[in-house]
Amino acid sequence: MVFKNKAFNKFWRFSCSFQLGIPVMIVIAVLTAWGTIVESQYNDATAAKKIVFDSWMMWVALSLLVYNLTVVVVDRWPWKLHHYPFITVHAGIVTIIVGGYLTSEFGIDGQMSVAMQGKNNFVAVPQTDLIVYATFDGDRYTKVADREVDFFLKPPTEQKPEVLQFGDDRIEIIKYVPYGVLQTKVKPTQDLNAGASIRFQLMNANVKQVQQITQQKKDRSTTFNLGPAQVILGAPKEGAVSGNQIYIEPIDSEKVKYSIFHNDQAKVFKTGQMKIGDVVDTGWMALEFRLLDYLQNASEEYEVTEVSMRTDATVPVVQIRHRDMIRWLALNDMIKIFGEKSAYLFGYQNRRLDLGFNIHLNQFEVINYEGTNKAKEYASQVSIASGSEPLQPGAESLQISMNKPLKHNGYTIYQASFTTDEMTGKPSASVFSINRDPGRMVKYIGSLVLCLGIVWLFYQRRKKATAI
Amino acid sequence: MINPSLAKAIKVLGFLFLTFFSVTSGAVRLGDQLRTLPVQDGGRIKPFDTFAKETLELVYGRQSYKPKDGGPAIQAQWVVLTWMLSPESWVSRPLFEVKHHQVVEQLKLDKERKHFTADEIFKSEKFMNLMQELQNKRQTKEKLNPYFQALQRMESQFGVFREMASGRMLRVYPVPNSDTWLSVAELPENIQPAFLDISKTVATYLGYQTDVAIKAEDQSKAAEALDKAVLHFKEVARQSDPEKYKAGDKSEAEVFYNDAHLFRWSYIFYLLAMLLTLFLWVRNAQKGMGFAWALLVIGFTIHTLGFAFRVYLAERPPVTNMYETVIWASWGAVLFAMILEAVYKFRVMLLGGSFVGILCLVLADVAPAVLDPGLHPLEAVLRSNYWLIVHVMTISISYAAFLLAFGLGDIGLIYYVIDAKKYHEQIQKIVTGVYRAMQIGVAFLTPGIILGGIWADESWGRFWGWDPKETWALIVLLGYIVILHARIIGWLKNFGMLASGVITFSLVIMAWYGVNFVLGAGLHSYGFGAGGVEYMSVFVLLHFLFVAYAYTIYRTQKGEA
Repeated sequence: MVFKNKAFNKFWRFSCSFQLGIPVMIVIAVLTAWGTIVESQYNDATAAKKIVFDSWMMWVALSLLVYNLTVVVVDRWPWKLHHYPFITVHAGIVTIIVGGYLTSEFGIDGQMSVAMQGKNNFVAVPQTDLIVYATFDGDRYTKVADREVDFFLKPPTEQKPEVLQFGDDRIEIIKYVPYGVLQTKVKPTQDLNAGASIRFQLMNANVKQVQQITQQKKDRSTTFNLGPAQVILGAPKEGAVSGNQIYIEPIDSEKVKYSIFHNDQAKVFKTGQMKIGDVVDTGWMALEFRLLDYLQNASEEYEVTEVSMRTDATVPVVQIRHRDMIRWLALNDMIKIFGEKSAYLFGYQNRRLDLGFNIHLNQFEVINYEGTNKAKEYASQVSIASGSEPLQPGAESLQISMNKPLKHNGYTIYQASFTTDEMTGKPSASVFSINRDPGRMVKYIGSLVLCLGIVWLFYQRRKKATAI
Repeated sequence: MINPSLAKAIKVLGFLFLTFFSVTSGAVRLGDQLRTLPVQDGGRIKPFDTFAKETLELVYGRQSYKPKDGGPAIQAQWVVLTWMLSPESWVSRPLFEVKHHQVVEQLKLDKERKHFTADEIFKSEKFMNLMQELQNKRQTKEKLNPYFQALQRMESQFGVFREMASGRMLRVYPVPNSDTWLSVAELPENIQPAFLDISKTVATYLGYQTDVAIKAEDQSKAAEALDKAVLHFKEVARQSDPEKYKAGDKSEAEVFYNDAHLFRWSYIFYLLAMLLTLFLWVRNAQKGMGFAWALLVIGFTIHTLGFAFRVYLAERPPVTNMYETVIWASWGAVLFAMILEAVYKFRVMLLGGSFVGILCLVLADVAPAVLDPGLHPLEAVLRSNYWLIVHVMTISISYAAFLLAFGLGDIGLIYYVIDAKKYHEQIQKIVTGVYRAMQIGVAFLTPGIILGGIWADESWGRFWGWDPKETWALIVLLGYIVILHARIIGWLKNFGMLASGVITFSLVIMAWYGVNFVLGAGLHSYGFGAGGVEYMSVFVLLHFLFVAYAYTIYRTQKGEA
């Protein structure tokens, strides 16, 4: 094509030139290479997406490529037969990129975990929100804030905190740690309603275990499970005692009362008082119980260590300030904050979307490779009930397994992984990846067109004798 | 296409080929029945031979034991079996390989040595401290660096030797109501005598072997007795659960595969083919290409056979780890070279093809620590999926084409170093080869990436997720597309094409090897490994230097002209 306007003609020539196309391809290659290095550096695919792959630079580069590819095709008008292979290839690439845009803009890609015999209708997506509920009387909660935040790209700081103002209460987020390792630390507190905490050692010739357990609240029992035996911080309940159990009840700030029960006897085997440093023989498998530390009123708080890359032990954490209180809050956790007149439940969480139907997990099965703990196959048996309806008896049971997803209401439900119970070693929940992809068909059509075009193109070129 | 000299050459070499197989195959050799004993290990049933070699490789770092006093090497099956029969005789021998300097230092051991005795390592208190250190590191769930990987290996060495010595590791007896086979230590009382027979006959056999006073006749009698004991035990084990024992029926084939070293034979023939082609090409000889073709075809047939063996043994297409893709891609490179040669008859195509074939197969042969030749079961997500196989095979075959372009590029640049003007005609032919190979590569890589997307969509629910492996495949594609376009508009002349054939291949190395071994991130983690980064970097760097050197010479020659 030739245009009369000289300046525009020059611009047009540049638009459809290799002088534009080749640098753009090189830029895309360099950007994506950088993205993979970012991912490797942080061991975090999300970081690479946020910093590179979903950044404006990437979209500008891809838009320029689409522009270049389109203009080149338009420029050849009127098309002749020998143009068609190259037009097909370019059309295929443009279609795939458009499909990718549709997916990233309108698609949903999230995760859902369903406990054994449980159900779930919420899929968690990568976007994060701050959600706050307030209560005046401690019973009824109302949502007072729901704000989308992206702390990874825009981390709040002491100087520029993220602020939530409710009447006189000003809650600030003053720090964001993308890769934090949480450790709970038990501290003594003046709050007389706070629960007790003990640190103890269970020991015989084969076992040596040090453990700390803390009550959430005064008089609320908490248990440590050591397979065949349990240590319970709390009072034994009438008729609830079963198995090898040792109960520890706070008496005052120094002493506790212990009661030891044995498997086969309903009556207490041994009881008495002990203080820090005391040892008592439990009578099970020659296990000795030693009280290492005891606090009558204790509270658990997080301590956060910031590390440089994601591991399975790290979690994103924010630091919250309300007046002179400063506390840590991990992603998908909640804390309670007491304000002037109201109390607040403050959550930092992945957005959860209601699917409009419940997925009930009827059964989950893992098959290992013979003689190993390596999973060979795993599959979930699920039933689906729409909306708030309960599951109909005799509802159809559907299987979701590796590489065999289930489609329902425009969503595709994949078997992603599973979690195991640390105590029993058995699966405790099935994890699905759930998505809706409006660009899927577009991408597939684009792929088909591109592949046909390439074969056609090289067939056409093949006719030329040597490679010039 | 077949001319008389080719036909004659094929006849001669075919005869050699058949002789070679009739020698290496056939019945199990005397005293070797033990090697075919089916053992359950690592999620599959394998012959004791494979089990012993893998175990010795882990503990000792080699597949046979070389005594310190310089006696003949002891084969893996005897070493590993005697760990169980008389562990005390091994405790004082330098059996455990520790390579990491820092670990050797921590244990206060002699830095000059590589192998240490069990007493030296495991009895020291420092060993316990190191194990505790490893445990603490694991709790942080961070990736293990080479130091901790070395500790991890030491932990496995210790565990394997202890479990083997106790008889708990060698699982030889299937039972109907469990997936796990019974180990030697767990054998039912009425079965124990059958295994005891093996132990006794092994002791006699090995005793006779080292004793020069024993006559050859008695030695073979001892071997016969051992074979008989093993066969009897196999029969007993089969009766326990015939269905499960069927998995061991491939044992003899696998032992043959272990012994035959097919890929080694294959590169020997490639080497002969390459030398002959080189001679003919340099001398511009009129005859003899038929013979070169025949050598290459034989190498290729053995290569294919080795590949077929792995398919048969693993019951899956062998393209799931680095070793297997190297074998597969070199196969593809030779195939493409033969096709291009058949079309163009430039000779240089065969030269390039055999060159890269040798390069890959030698690499796979000499670096078992990095390129693991073991047959392992697959991760759940990789099992029984049609698209997986198709996309990996398509993408690695495209790498094969780029590999060919790389080999040809190297050869072409040599001409530039010698005299570009004089060899203009040869260079023109090579450039055509490079260009065609790149086209083939792009034609396979594009659908390969798309097929990968289809697989990802089926398995993970997204077509494209910027996973490093898929991203780097895309970068490779962009790289070669840029070159093909730059050639069309004349930005790249002959020298440019040859240089890009070599340099752009470093993108392939990054996508193929670097993502798994250098970046070590992403969803393709089941193929991850460690090691060889230094060598690979040197390889890439040397080629960059070579291109730079060729460029300076090219500039001066051009200036003179």
